Amino acid sequence: MAVHWLPRAVHETRAGGHAVTGGITDLSKQPPPEAITTEICIIGSGCGGATAAHLLAEAGHEVVVLEEGRDLVGSERTQRDGPMYDQLFMDRGGRASHDLSVSVLQGRVLGGGGVVNTCDVVPIPEGVLHHWATKYGLEDFAPVRFKRFTDDALGDLSASRIPESMVNPANNKLRQGAEGLGLRGEVMMHNRVGCRGLGTCMIGCPVHAKRNPRMVALPKAVEAGARIFTRARAVKIGKASQEFKEITVRTLDPRGYHEQSELRVRAKIVIVAANAIASAQLLLRSGVGNSHVGRNLTLQPQLPIIGIFNERIAAFDGIPQSYAVTEFEEEDNAEFGLWGYRIEGIMGTPGIVSSLLPFSGAAGMEGMAQYDRMAASLLLAPDAPSGQVEVARDGRLTIRYDQRADHQERLRHAAEMAARVYLEAGAREVLLPTTPPLVIRSAREAKRAQELSFAPATAPMVSAHQQGTVRFAASERDGGADLNGQVYGTREVYVFDSSGYPTSAASHTMTPIIASSRMLTTKLLTRI
Amino acid sequence: MGGVPNEASSREGLFSFLSRRRFLKVSLVAGGAVLGVGGGGLLALRGRAPNVDGLRVLDAHEYRTLQSLVEVMLPKTDAIPIDAASMDLPREFDDFLADEPEQNVRDLQKALVLIEFGPLVFDKKLTTFSRLDVAERTAHWNEWALSENLLRRQVSIATRKFFNLVYFDQEEVWPYIGYPGPSMKRAQGVMP
Repeated sequence: MAVHWLPRAVHETRAGGHAVTGGITDLSKQPPPEAITTEICIIGSGCGGATAAHLLAEAGHEVVVLEEGRDLVGSERTQRDGPMYDQLFMDRGGRASHDLSVSVLQGRVLGGGGVVNTCDVVPIPEGVLHHWATKYGLEDFAPVRFKRFTDDALGDLSASRIPESMVNPANNKLRQGAEGLGLRGEVMMHNRVGCRGLGTCMIGCPVHAKRNPRMVALPKAVEAGARIFTRARAVKIGKASQEFKEITVRTLDPRGYHEQSELRVRAKIVIVAANAIASAQLLLRSGVGNSHVGRNLTLQPQLPIIGIFNERIAAFDGIPQSYAVTEFEEEDNAEFGLWGYRIEGIMGTPGIVSSLLPFSGAAGMEGMAQYDRMAASLLLAPDAPSGQVEVARDGRLTIRYDQRADHQERLRHAAEMAARVYLEAGAREVLLPTTPPLVIRSAREAKRAQELSFAPATAPMVSAHQQGTVRFAASERDGGADLNGQVYGTREVYVFDSSGYPTSAASHTMTPIIASSRMLTTKLLTRI
Repeated sequence: MGGVPNEASSREGLFSFLSRRRFLKVSLVAGGAVLGVGGGGLLALRGRAPNVDGLRVLDAHEYRTLQSLVEVMLPKTDAIPIDAASMDLPREFDDFLADEPEQNVRDLQKALVLIEFGPLVFDKKLTTFSRLDVAERTAHWNEWALSENLLRRQVSIATRKFFNLVYFDQEEVWPYIGYPGPSMKRAQGVMP
């Protein structure tokens, strides 16, 4: 598939401001204008921001998009751990919760999380939509009203079921074990078109097979006149209650390490869509919003588990995540909506896999020598909204997250079941990469998963679906943003990403965010 | 609410759990051991480190601590007979740090102090990490991962994350783990 090269913006200087035609401007490569004035400024170019940019620009509005990452495309996506984690993720891939218990993966590239995810298309389940509408008063999310936005999101994504022929041997091991134990599971939906099974979805697809915001919404937005600025870090929203907001933006060097210069963007409408962590961080830094901002964070931490087989599996080839055991997933839990757990096949490149293993020294070398015989899964358990994003006086971010006992309990159960599944599929042993490591060699031993302590920094949990932090609510007393996504206490400063979700939306957040951004943008268009 | 943060504080680093307060706390807990030796004694204990040219952030002592660490974290084995020490991974870390905010560099330097004086602070031994022989150093470092002390576990995880990721991203290691290299290059016939 051809890359949708985004046109470079053609600059014109105008008295009192700076105008560009629709296109992309990399601010690391040219002196920025001193100021930009626009009708709408969108902060973040991922699923939420790109969708809003597309719809608003097509409706004839003047749109500027700010993105801290850069447009990394084609052969620049080298499939190598070091440079890709460095360039595609926040904090060069090193972001984590306060005590290092959970690695927090957050995209930092034009197109956002959709560029670095595993392409899982999972709409918000009806049970969750009903839960939000009834328990939290989010009437626009009622299943019947929200359906059209989900349908449109599925269209944006060219969503389809992964073909049987593309379920790789590692995911087939998971399926084989699940079926042997009589557990329900499914081949997952995805947003790939023209996939060549290159295997490195998490660090960017070099052939652009993902129908993600970078390939769909952003080109349409640019075509409609939207201006995109990359290597542009928004650090403060000022004058949030006035007609024209003033966004302080710092430009970055080409690799995104250092701030270079500063500019101001003046906008009537500001849409923050920088991910649940970064959106809250920006609002907190700016002193914008009420006391709910930053609270109710869900990280949905996932725990890896590895089946080690006698034969070569080569899980690094093909689609890394195509089969999920869904037997234990609850989509309509009365208290939390989405609950229970899933077991989903996964694999990564050697660097990231090794970084998750608990061994050091000779044991670590022996562990990695079995890399090509591994079939791995992530145990995905939705969590209650209990974390918090904090910003210190010096601006330093803290992601405070203490895993709750109920989450630990479900992960122990999930680990036990996943161990049984891999053993059923013929695994020689199953490794839970905790410290100390837990090795299970028989179904009888699987109960040892109940021994997992989850003491801080002993289990290599990973978060890829951060949500909450600026909860949508009908009243300022109950949340950080209203039912239009407008941040309480502001004049037309909105959040259009997963920040608004009161509980976990789904096991994967790409489709929910595109759908909810479509819904919120459609509402906004009726008012402007 | 605060104003615009400076760059040094706007990014989170691998070692951000090592706030000044926590570092001081650990130092105080270990104070008896440290005070017993005294500041001059600590320097004497650490000894001189060989000069290393071209470092951007690390000093020679810090470089030596990392080289000693890599030697036990990623040893040459029958399974993977590639010598990590020859890859000069500490220099890669030095390059990494050169583009990190100052605060993150300071956190890492605290971690290196803790590692180097770990035998004294945690085991009450009158020696330093780099001076332990390989067997003793390996045993000592393994205790970090399994320690009851959260800070030691965190330092262990953070260093492992970085060095494992860099080491296993090296082409010469791949044949020993059955990885044929990036699939695009294979498709183009560039890789074996």
